[in-house]
Amino acid sequence: MYIIKKGQVSRIAKELQKDYRMYGPVLEPETQQVMFTRVDDAADIDLGLPLPANPVKSAVFPHFERIMSYVYDRQDGKVDIKPDFDDAPKALFGIRPCDLTGILCLDRFFLGQEFVDEVYRNHRKNIFIVSQTCTEPFAQCFCVCTDSGPGAREGYDLNLTDLGGEYLVEAGSEKGKRLAEKLSLPKSDDSHMREKEKRIDRAVSLFGSIAKENKAWISRVVNRVTTGLIDEKVWEYIGSQCLECGACTYVCPTCSCFNIAEQGTGEDAADRMRTWDSCAYEGYSRMAGGHNPRKPVEDRRNKRFFCKLSYSQSKKYLRPGCVGCGRCAWVCPGDIGLPNVVTYIRREIQK
Amino acid sequence: MSERNNTTIPEIATIEEIKDEIVEVKTFYLSFDGRKGGSPPEFKSGQFVMCTVFGAGEFAVSLPPSPENDRFHLTVRKVGKVTGALHDCAVGDKVGIRGPFGNGFPFDEIKGKNVVYVAGGIGLIPLRSSIMHVMQNKEKFGRILLFLGARTPQELMYQYNLKDWKATPGFETHVTIDNPVPGWDGETGFVHTLLKKKDVPVKDTVAFVCGPPVMFNAVIKELINIGIQEEHIISTLERHMKCGIGKCQHCSIGRTLVCTDGPVYTYRQIKTLGEQI
Repeated sequence: MYIIKKGQVSRIAKELQKDYRMYGPVLEPETQQVMFTRVDDAADIDLGLPLPANPVKSAVFPHFERIMSYVYDRQDGKVDIKPDFDDAPKALFGIRPCDLTGILCLDRFFLGQEFVDEVYRNHRKNIFIVSQTCTEPFAQCFCVCTDSGPGAREGYDLNLTDLGGEYLVEAGSEKGKRLAEKLSLPKSDDSHMREKEKRIDRAVSLFGSIAKENKAWISRVVNRVTTGLIDEKVWEYIGSQCLECGACTYVCPTCSCFNIAEQGTGEDAADRMRTWDSCAYEGYSRMAGGHNPRKPVEDRRNKRFFCKLSYSQSKKYLRPGCVGCGRCAWVCPGDIGLPNVVTYIRREIQK
Repeated sequence: MSERNNTTIPEIATIEEIKDEIVEVKTFYLSFDGRKGGSPPEFKSGQFVMCTVFGAGEFAVSLPPSPENDRFHLTVRKVGKVTGALHDCAVGDKVGIRGPFGNGFPFDEIKGKNVVYVAGGIGLIPLRSSIMHVMQNKEKFGRILLFLGARTPQELMYQYNLKDWKATPGFETHVTIDNPVPGWDGETGFVHTLLKKKDVPVKDTVAFVCGPPVMFNAVIKELINIGIQEEHIISTLERHMKCGIGKCQHCSIGRTLVCTDGPVYTYRQIKTLGEQI
């Protein structure tokens, strides 16, 4: 493992920029919001910023993308189909452990089931991930409840931990090791590792005083959500607060539902677009002809939390579908971010 | 990695013939441009494909042909934008096909059993593949019965096949329409009422049911009434689908995805999904 002086950490980003399209947290000047976004200059990335408002998934699972385009010449009877997969090398710099866990969930879901998602596989082909340990929680965090932080355990190429005057740089892959060697970073010793452990322990101890907004004792509700033994009234209460805006699914690091639609580019020619979709929308399960098996809003809400918390769904991610970032609670115009839903269900169980 | 190469990008097929079935329902016979002799990719009875109508979009549709000895075709009802665009297509036009996807009917498990088909209206379309397969392998099964219901005689699907099926020895066909009309001398009434009137085998029997939700529920009730077990009632479900490969999640019902775990389920499974059909 290696060490880099705090002022020098941008050297890693600059080196990556030579071969990769750069993504990282930046402060958006217009809105003063922290956004995870593509940057032209690696120097714009600021590791000291709090958790970005949007999840990191957009780099490997864009909000909106073309997956193929076609032109059909009806006269000549010729169809020209061009697949459009994005396999550009991308570096995700300075992502938090919760977001990294989100990417690992998507990996297992898109790549590890019966079928491999070709669009995702191409995105994921050449990704360099630099994660960073959270040495302090933020107000909305509850990753200690979901086992996805404050330190990253797997999935990164390099992991940075702020040790005060310097960063501990851990390589999690051959790729990461090669980069550290290329930059001739000085080697770390045991004391640095011990210091990292100390800082993670400290971060965990700070959850009680800093991360006050959300608590979600997921393990207590998984069984109930899986078996469906939850009073219908609880879902109705939750449904009554849902405005069907879909924001929770858009900011969720593990939500991966998508829609596919053709965007016409001429007569019998179109781009096939893949966009994020949300189970909150009424049209989500509506079939041609109008039959909608999941029309009531509480049925649709039920589905989202089943997806995040049930044992059957955890099998797809090899962990619960919630990574404890707290974004859904941030954005929900009602009061049904995941932590609150867990609370409502627990309250009902206790009764 | 999956072996198929058309999971994301459709392959091209040509419409060779179009047959009018009933009102708003047409059958499209297809040949595959990129394959030897235009033959389709290998598929199992009960699977489905994603069909692209260029310029309009893509929809999921069940496969009515038998995997053996049958021309490849899709039977499609005009219900929306994309199926409407397909209905506007002419012979010679190209479409895109992805698939086949889904599990298919469990023929290995039902060898030697009596087979009862109960179909309502266009519910016969997804069952046709199974019926053709069973007919072509009659010696492997016991009694074979078909109960078919439609609103009017004009809405009976696959009338040309019906004629053959009726004439096939060992194949018992019962057809009913909802209300008596002049010129119809067959049975009348809903299809589930027919089950009571006829001699339906109960022991060692598997029932295939497909049709609109109201008919489906009534038939299931009747089948259970006469003593057929829930795990011996087989149906194929329909859902809004976008990808066909278990990723877009639109077809989820409870913990299953219709595209990869289904579309064929037993009634016992359907009952435990915890959502309406």
